[in-house]
Amino acid sequence: MKKIYHHFVAGCCCMLLLLCVNSTFAQKKISGKVISENNEPVLGATVQVKGTSTGTVTDVNGAFSLTVPDASAILVVTFVGYKPREVTVGEASTLDIQLETSASSLNELVVTGYTTQQRKEIIGAVSTVKADELVAVPAGNAEQQLQGRVAGLTVLTSGQPGTTSLVRIRGFASFAGNEPLYIVDGVPTFSIENINSFDIETTTVLKDAGSASIYGARASAGVIVITTKKGRRGKLQVTYDGSYGWQTPGKGFSMLNPEQTARYTWTALRNAGKVEANGNPTHPQYGNGVDPVLPDYILAGDQAGVFEGNPALDPSLYNVDFNKGDIYQIVRANKAGTDWYDEITRTAPIQQHAVGLSGGNDNSRFYVGFGYYDQEGVVLNTYLKRYTIRANSEFTIHNRVRIGENIQMAYRDNPQLTNLNEGNAISLAYRMNPLIPVHDIMGGWAGTAAKGFNNPSNPVANQTRAKDNKGHAFGVFGNVYAEVDLVKDLTFRTSFGGGLFSFYANGITSRTYENSENIGNDLLFENAGYGYSWTWTNTARYQHTFGIHDIKALVGIEAIRDGAGRNLSGTGLNPFTNVVNYRTLTTTQSSGRTVASDGSPGNDIFSIFGKVDYTLMDRYLISLVLRRDGSSNFGIANRYGTFPAISGGWRLSQENFLRNVSWLNELKIRGGWGKMGNQRIDLNNQYNLYAASASFAAYAIDGSSTATFEGINKARIGNPEGRWETNITTNIGLDATLFNNTLDIIFDWYHKRTNDLLYNPELPATVGQVTYPTINVASMLNRGIDLQIIKRGSFARNWRYEANLTLTTYKNEITRLAEGVDYFDGNSFGSTRIGTFTRNQVGHPISAFYGYDVVGLFQDDNDVKDSPEQDGAAPGRFKYRDVDGDNRITPADRVFFGDPNPRVTSGLDLTIGYKNFDFNIFLYTVQGAKVINYTRWFTDFFPSFPGQAISDRVLDSWTPQNKGASTPVFEDVSNFSTNTQPNSYYMENGAYIRARNVQLSYTLPNYVTKRAGIERLKVYVQATNLFTITDYDGLDPAVSGVDTNFGVDYGNYPLTRQFILGLSATF
Amino acid sequence: MKSYKAIIGLFAMAVITATVLYACRKSFLTREPIGQLGDADVATKKGVEELLIGAYAVLDGNYNGFNWQSSCTNWVYGSIAGGDAHKGSNAGDQADINPIERYEGLPTNEYFNTKWKAVYDGVARSNNVLKALARADVSDEDRVRIRGEARFLRGFYHLEAKKMWNNIPYVDETIDYVNNNYKVGNTEDAWPKIEADLKAAYDSLPELMAQVGRANKWVAAAFLAKAYMFEKKYAEARPLLESIIASGVNPRGVKFDLEPRFQDNYNAETKNGRESIFAVQASVNDGGAGNNANPDQILNFPYSDQGAPGGCCGFFQPTQELVNSYRTDANGLPLLDGSYNTGANQVKSDQGVAAGADFTPDAGRLDPRLDWTVGRRGIPYLDWGNHPGVSWIRDQANGGPYSPKKNVYYKSQEKVLTDGSSWTNGLTAINYILVRYADVLLWAAECEVEIGSLEKAREYVNRVRERAMDEQSWVKRSDGTPAANYVIGTYDAAWTDQAAARKAVHFERKLELAMEGHRFFDLVRWGEASSTLNAYIAYETTIMSLLRGAQFREPKNLYYPIPQRQIDLSATNGVSALEQNPDY
Repeated sequence: MKKIYHHFVAGCCCMLLLLCVNSTFAQKKISGKVISENNEPVLGATVQVKGTSTGTVTDVNGAFSLTVPDASAILVVTFVGYKPREVTVGEASTLDIQLETSASSLNELVVTGYTTQQRKEIIGAVSTVKADELVAVPAGNAEQQLQGRVAGLTVLTSGQPGTTSLVRIRGFASFAGNEPLYIVDGVPTFSIENINSFDIETTTVLKDAGSASIYGARASAGVIVITTKKGRRGKLQVTYDGSYGWQTPGKGFSMLNPEQTARYTWTALRNAGKVEANGNPTHPQYGNGVDPVLPDYILAGDQAGVFEGNPALDPSLYNVDFNKGDIYQIVRANKAGTDWYDEITRTAPIQQHAVGLSGGNDNSRFYVGFGYYDQEGVVLNTYLKRYTIRANSEFTIHNRVRIGENIQMAYRDNPQLTNLNEGNAISLAYRMNPLIPVHDIMGGWAGTAAKGFNNPSNPVANQTRAKDNKGHAFGVFGNVYAEVDLVKDLTFRTSFGGGLFSFYANGITSRTYENSENIGNDLLFENAGYGYSWTWTNTARYQHTFGIHDIKALVGIEAIRDGAGRNLSGTGLNPFTNVVNYRTLTTTQSSGRTVASDGSPGNDIFSIFGKVDYTLMDRYLISLVLRRDGSSNFGIANRYGTFPAISGGWRLSQENFLRNVSWLNELKIRGGWGKMGNQRIDLNNQYNLYAASASFAAYAIDGSSTATFEGINKARIGNPEGRWETNITTNIGLDATLFNNTLDIIFDWYHKRTNDLLYNPELPATVGQVTYPTINVASMLNRGIDLQIIKRGSFARNWRYEANLTLTTYKNEITRLAEGVDYFDGNSFGSTRIGTFTRNQVGHPISAFYGYDVVGLFQDDNDVKDSPEQDGAAPGRFKYRDVDGDNRITPADRVFFGDPNPRVTSGLDLTIGYKNFDFNIFLYTVQGAKVINYTRWFTDFFPSFPGQAISDRVLDSWTPQNKGASTPVFEDVSNFSTNTQPNSYYMENGAYIRARNVQLSYTLPNYVTKRAGIERLKVYVQATNLFTITDYDGLDPAVSGVDTNFGVDYGNYPLTRQFILGLSATF
Repeated sequence: MKSYKAIIGLFAMAVITATVLYACRKSFLTREPIGQLGDADVATKKGVEELLIGAYAVLDGNYNGFNWQSSCTNWVYGSIAGGDAHKGSNAGDQADINPIERYEGLPTNEYFNTKWKAVYDGVARSNNVLKALARADVSDEDRVRIRGEARFLRGFYHLEAKKMWNNIPYVDETIDYVNNNYKVGNTEDAWPKIEADLKAAYDSLPELMAQVGRANKWVAAAFLAKAYMFEKKYAEARPLLESIIASGVNPRGVKFDLEPRFQDNYNAETKNGRESIFAVQASVNDGGAGNNANPDQILNFPYSDQGAPGGCCGFFQPTQELVNSYRTDANGLPLLDGSYNTGANQVKSDQGVAAGADFTPDAGRLDPRLDWTVGRRGIPYLDWGNHPGVSWIRDQANGGPYSPKKNVYYKSQEKVLTDGSSWTNGLTAINYILVRYADVLLWAAECEVEIGSLEKAREYVNRVRERAMDEQSWVKRSDGTPAANYVIGTYDAAWTDQAAARKAVHFERKLELAMEGHRFFDLVRWGEASSTLNAYIAYETTIMSLLRGAQFREPKNLYYPIPQRQIDLSATNGVSALEQNPDY
């Protein structure tokens, strides 16, 4: 045994020696030119000596020069959009290499995990997004631009500028940490909000274990690899992309007008028997008559429902200045009705400008990008302003060492609404009674201080008062790297990168006077913080071809710190004046200040990984991946996890029996299996912790009314036994290119099971109210199909087209939670006033809707009598399904009646070109998703908040004469059978088809632009979200949320139409 | 050339080695929490003392935010369910209270779960003190005191649960996540263990303590007596109550007694007076963002934006039945025959009277405590001027014409004894008194009625009434005249009939402690809940529609349902450690 070992070691040493000796240096210098089929120079093509990393890039004339080892060297010439070509150098010293246009995406170069591969070599589930597709629709966050572009990738987003979206690759593998890992120029991150999309060159989505598990530690939710633009050898190239447009808010909610609102108020009160001695209802505004009467004024001093001639209307009594005494408002009724959605929205401008400069020579290359993105939101005082600078450069030393950096700096100012919140401006727009005007008679704010309109606050006032609230963020992200060609075929690379950000926000919640529930003080807040992450990666890459064997190997070692930082925040009350530059925490009143600070130590990960790709005869492919990660998130015993993957492929089209099938250009079947890990839990999960809290542990034990003794309480139960969550994926796929490279089909089927899923089940209250430990208990299953079909070609002279269809399906099922726990409710985000609609239960998909199933409305007393016993049952109210058949409606009768997971999402990108014109339409569709329209609770039921605005749905509410209605009887009764239970009445079909982009562009003829010194000039007009076809009754069926509680519309910031003019130029 | 290659090769190796060494340092994969303490840190004198403060801190029921569901005042479970008050506001706001008011609360009602979580958080915090204390190096004197306080608090929190649910799990310091024994059952009667905790505290705690808010010997005695009262152990309760009455002092050494002015029990400026045996200490503008300032009661203010306290949200509106109860006869005694709900005895209300219309308040004889308990139109509302009626009411048709008052601050105290750091002005420094001296006197009276001297009972009741008879305890108009026709007197005729005496004592508790969260629990422990509450429903339904069809059912409604969520969470292999209460 020992002997064999010695032989083995000796053998290995010899191999190493051979590798070194092999590199002799009979060098030869050649130059040449790369041209296209029509003899145009190809700028930016990569010319590389096969089997080495020696290479260069063609300049603006398509020229290159290169030193090659000898005449037998083979040059590999590649460029996006062309078929790669291999040319043996031979004896000549100059070479003209003609490239053939490649229509097939199967030949494109794909940046994958730590390496670059040709698509034909890829055997994992990998999708790419072209740079121009990515920027087709303007968005403040590149992740939004991926929507519909990638089969298997779902993006749930809203119309709020700068919003963070839910990006999910192949469904939901976990209860937390489903955000994909982004690898930007080799540096991992979970946020790409600061990247200027115009700086992006390639986007690759790694969906299965075979492709992604090289990033083992954090790959379970998929990986999106982004590379930014690099400089190219040649003359300075300048690009400019700019656009300007307008966003229209569209139509708001369909509400009753003031007269109808009053009439239906009477209906509701009469139906509930709430009448006064004279037999009529009463209301502070509408009087006490047989019919309600709209007043001339809704407020004069403390009087409501005032008519002309009342002495209280004397304008000299008016006062809205707290310093001058009691508030006295006079507010005229807006009998025509205020359209509150219209008041809080506007036609908002959007513009973006990006300049890119690139160039370089043999020794140094650079790309510099400047970006400016400025989007006003359609809702007042929401906007995103972002400024970015990117500088990427690379230096070559002695042909064997490359050193470079990719650095991005970004500054953003991005005030947002709390989306999906009952108090945001959009929710208030459907809650404010239309009889209330925006302003009182003297220009002060009007509101629910006038009795009878319940408690919403004036959203125009809120948004206007918030106009000086600022949220600034500054971030630097990037890396420095060095690559050394150690010996022939072996390259060592080291990269150190990461991000550093800081933020600062301040603003005020103003004291109010116009509302029924006013804010009593000016509350100033300031907060700031910083954070950082870094990654140090060292890899060695080897590739060699021995005859029919082609081997690529990679080994690496990586150290990561992620999510470290500290935060500081404070509040104070009533500064002397509200002048923006005066107010600081220091200038607030001395009592009532609060401070808080906290921090995160960061998550450290240490990894060793390796990958071998082996290709036999250019047709049999096999890939092995192994990664071992250690994470600081786990206790010492379980810190390390190992993540293997194996995949294989067979290019059938290379086989003799298919070689002569003329319509088949490429056919590959492939499959893979592997494990990926997830460790995204709270960094402190392994510790028992105690914390001081001024709010929940301090106590005025000495009887002081204005100070407390410090106290502490247990804050967390630790779980030192936590270990890696593992996600086992099986993927089977097929790639085909047909009909002279005009049709590509990429198909994948997958089965993804998550085991040891990290989840912190609620514990019985007997352990106290602490953060519960995250433990490895749950499991989840996702299955689905990703399909992409690309068809291109021409159908007449000068006419060309390209259609790109992506189709995504996933079926998610929770297969296990914890011992004794088979569900948990989704209430971590947003909350309704009647409990939660979403429940996560074993056997059901994530975030499924749960409650009583409405089978109809009770038609009459006999119907009530004959139906199962139900609290509050009466004609016109909800009749629930008696699921357990015990003839009584009890909590046991609650069922799952739908879920927000789309059955199919699909994107169709269609471009038709004629000469210099291109017309593009991009349709995005979601089918089979359901939405809870929780806004109905406020607008369809009188007693929810009597006096608020009422939906026009009640015009068709149940009455003894209108028994076929779907909207229940309109009455001021709140009980189990009306508005107190989550039930299926609120659920609507969330399917939609949306024209995300419609664009017409014109590229000016070369001869025109050349004269102006412009290489290429394209102008375009564009409309985004031009139409949406949906049955959904709310503003927008695309309703986001958090993973365990999404699809509930509490006031969703809608995606609205944009009309844009744009220009794209290259100098 | 070779040496060049060797150099870069060596360089690369060096980089890799450095990385490995750096990363493999054990410390690299160990990241310590920021701003938090570990088990060892708290097992110290300072740690234990602060954990103890943390255990007191949830007396208010507020463990994670503004939780009215778990209010220490039990305004929902004790007062609304006891017929003192309606939910108020409008029908849809806090709709989960509607079924509780109608005795239709389901096990899935989130209110019950939140209350459960709050009291058991108190229990867990008390146990955390004991766990850390066992490992800490503290003096024997401190150890005895800290242990006594923690056991008192543990007993207190369990007592609170016992009132609500009867069949409750008792959780001591042996229960721990790591011991995997936290799914505690509720089939064993918890009274002996609650008594043991309170008794241990009574036996070990000193009289005098460093801060007035702590539980001393007499505080423990009062709660032990309370437990006995719930157990109907009058023989055990009586001597304890007598000793509190005779010699109980607060931690400052002040002898317990009635406040001369009834209303001083509800004023932040006169908190921790001699009547306050044990109170939840409230504080404002203390850096806690209002969380120590009665956030559980911010809904319970008149509904008006101007010239009114709090500004929100019109909940907790006293019932007509409660208001009528304060009607007195010519001798100033309550109408114990129940005739207060009939004919002209009913107190005149402004239900349906418009904002600007003339209204003269009831001119009949009334117990003066009414107007410190209920805000009613035309009567001064502290220093906020006269209650204006409907313009302070959110929805009269739903909640009636009255406002709560005992939780309300004075206008002169706004922003001084109220907290501005949240949206509401209704965050106050008013203590909620968990047990006050009047409470103790009336318990003692009960004991005398049941097992002692009816005359002694009369004496205790009269002490309480005499304080109310003192004009200092009356609501006055600005000219110094009484705000209404207050006629109140003592029981001067000897008590000879036990049933009549019992009725008088029970009714005195209703009047004296109305709106303080006790009524429902008193009715249950007296065995009077069904008769009294169904009569209340019948009467109140003649005025308002919201109780129509409601019914108190015995035994079901004697106790609230065990929260379904907790039953589910306590399951092992589908079998829950917790059993639901009867009939739910």
